[in-house]
Amino acid sequence: MTIARYAEKLRVPICIVLVMGSWQLIYVLGMVPAKYFPSIFAIAVAFWQMLTDGAVISAWATTFLRALIGLVGAALLGIALAIISDLSPVMARGIRYVSDVLQPIPPAAFVPMAVFMLGLGPKLYAFVIILVTVWPPYLNGVSGLASVGAVQLNTGRMFGLTNWGLLWRVKLPAAMPEVFAGIRYAATISLIAVIVSEMLAGRDGIGFMIFKKAFALRTAEVFGLMFLVGFNGVLLNGLVNLLRRGVTGWHIRMMERHE
Amino acid sequence: MTGILTASSVGKSYGTGTARMAIIDGLELSIAKGEFVSLVGPSGCGKTTLLMCLSGLLTPSVGEVRFKGQTVSAPPIGLSVVFQDYSRSLLPWKTNLDNVLFGMRRLSMAAADKKARAAEIIAAVGLSGFENHHPWQVSGGMQQRVAIARGIASQSELLLLDEPLAAVDAQTRADMQDLLLDLAKRFNQTCVLVTHDVEEAVYMADRVLVLGPRPTRVVREIVVDLPKPRDQIATREAPAFLHARHEVMALIRGMRAGQNLS
Amino acid sequence: MKRETRIALLGLLVPLAIVVLWQIAALMQKTPLFPGPGKVVLAIWANYPVILRELGITLLRAAMGFAIAAITMIPLGIFLGRIRLIGRVLEPLMDMLATLPPPAIIPLVMLFAGTGDWAKIVIIAYAAAVPLLMNTYEASHTIHPMLSKVARSLHLSRLETMRLIDWPSSLPMIATGARLAIASSLLVSVTSEMLLSTNGIGTYLQRSQENFRIDAGLAGIAFISLAGVLINAGVFRLEKRWLFWHYRDQRQSE
Repeated sequence: MTIARYAEKLRVPICIVLVMGSWQLIYVLGMVPAKYFPSIFAIAVAFWQMLTDGAVISAWATTFLRALIGLVGAALLGIALAIISDLSPVMARGIRYVSDVLQPIPPAAFVPMAVFMLGLGPKLYAFVIILVTVWPPYLNGVSGLASVGAVQLNTGRMFGLTNWGLLWRVKLPAAMPEVFAGIRYAATISLIAVIVSEMLAGRDGIGFMIFKKAFALRTAEVFGLMFLVGFNGVLLNGLVNLLRRGVTGWHIRMMERHE
Repeated sequence: MTGILTASSVGKSYGTGTARMAIIDGLELSIAKGEFVSLVGPSGCGKTTLLMCLSGLLTPSVGEVRFKGQTVSAPPIGLSVVFQDYSRSLLPWKTNLDNVLFGMRRLSMAAADKKARAAEIIAAVGLSGFENHHPWQVSGGMQQRVAIARGIASQSELLLLDEPLAAVDAQTRADMQDLLLDLAKRFNQTCVLVTHDVEEAVYMADRVLVLGPRPTRVVREIVVDLPKPRDQIATREAPAFLHARHEVMALIRGMRAGQNLS
Repeated sequence: MKRETRIALLGLLVPLAIVVLWQIAALMQKTPLFPGPGKVVLAIWANYPVILRELGITLLRAAMGFAIAAITMIPLGIFLGRIRLIGRVLEPLMDMLATLPPPAIIPLVMLFAGTGDWAKIVIIAYAAAVPLLMNTYEASHTIHPMLSKVARSLHLSRLETMRLIDWPSSLPMIATGARLAIASSLLVSVTSEMLLSTNGIGTYLQRSQENFRIDAGLAGIAFISLAGVLINAGVFRLEKRWLFWHYRDQRQSE
């Protein structure tokens, strides 16, 4: 029983030790050639060397900024589409048709065609990221706006809100928690879209760099870069959560209370 | 006599042709300024629809509702509804104070004056110290008081109360009844209370209007001849109270028996 | 009902307007690198046998990867959810893997396993594994305590509890994970084909680009979209059939 409690408290370090230990064990036993499976020490060294060399930092910043800008654009566009859908049932249906057709297409499929139309610059990234990232905020926005309670709407109308006022002061705040759930999912997708586009467009960013290092058989550096990609995800998620706490902090505290 | 709120030959129905469903038909009522009127009726008679029509949140299919002589087509200033589902009528992203201020948004007053007034009303409903809490951080009875405070704060003269105490426990309920009567007097509110509870209807009101089964209209008016302020013990034992209660209850039970037979 | 059909028909004007605008833009550009919808329709007619064959290869690989992930990860998720200690200790590892975009492992697997069929299936299986494992684990360790009490009062063994209680009551969340996993496997399947070109729809898209046949590439994309729509519709129907009790339950609690 006490062992279980210690394990519960120390689960993060235990997990790290377990992962690193089994990693190192595989390395020491030579189950996989060291060329493909460097020791943790080698990865750390390679990672550190890449950090001190400026190229990685700038690639990291490029990738992160692309994902961030794409996410912001997709979130704003998604909310706008949700609002339009809320105002007109015909537009709602029309946008739903478009989303049904476009949503299943993976970002990678767009890249080769879009390269010719948009070049290799920021336009390409904006197009691809927004096209695949816009749907979760849009879909959640539509369902959030539709599920605002009749009593809340009547309350707003009773105190003289017009339709626009209702949308702005009652419906949008009430729908925000659901929209943010969509944005959190969108953050994951936007990072995937950036990495894939960079791999395919083949010019800059971490996605491209991972491929370059893999072809050069610099395995330790590939692992280091993957760590950096994961870090991007954590960072992006952190930013979204920060904003979410600011905008819908009431909802988070309300849910914590109801548990 | 023309009251502060009148309804003349009001009808409300949904659908057309064979699918037409009449909820209200030929309803007449008049509420005088300063009165406390209870509306009671058998379950499912359309009380809530009626309240929506009186408040301007719904437009009657025929007839008209007038508030202070003006035809009601949208919720007018000076009239506010306290909803049955109070916890959902409060905006959860606003604090209690901000919810009360939300009720004052149409008033032309300086922001500081609004705040002072809101604080005064919050104190009157006994919620001082909870201004900066969110509705979901306080009990159900307190949420209901926030909703009432918000109604009064909107410079209301007429409160439409839609079963405001249906969801609170019996003891809180008695306290809330007295609080409501006290608030009505203190802030000069004319009140229309919709309730299921015949005892509550009689206890609170100067007049009880009994509604018929659907499509509903007022079938009987009973004047409650009891002194004010009311008292939870003495009033409920007074012969006039028992007499009024008997009359209302007999009427409603009669309607329900009729419904069951048909 | 009549209003519904009118909305459905009028709604079609939105995609129609997009198609018309696209056609006008294409006519103004006058370059084969910006084909309009008309050209794409012609390309669909000319290329559909090739596209269908390549898409079939892609979908088959995606299905194999997904199946491997489902067979291993759903039992593992239930197991980790039930044996709390191991689950809790491995949670940070699962969280870490979840933050890594699946396509990022493509270069790595290429190093280990080359560019053949199995390399791609491994990548797809990994991509599908993460959402399946996360959702199953989450579902199985948040099962209502009441159900665990029922299991104990019926003297079910641990294995029986997992099979008879945990698995069915986790199904709604597993279904959510499966939907994410299907999208993820399709994504990674196409991406891996574009990067490690051999065959499949991804390679087809890549070749179209290299031959400057943008119209043919867009025709391929149209078929990917169609496949996605059909798969989603199929999954939706299965969910309705198997999880009717969950939906009914939810409706009542509202």
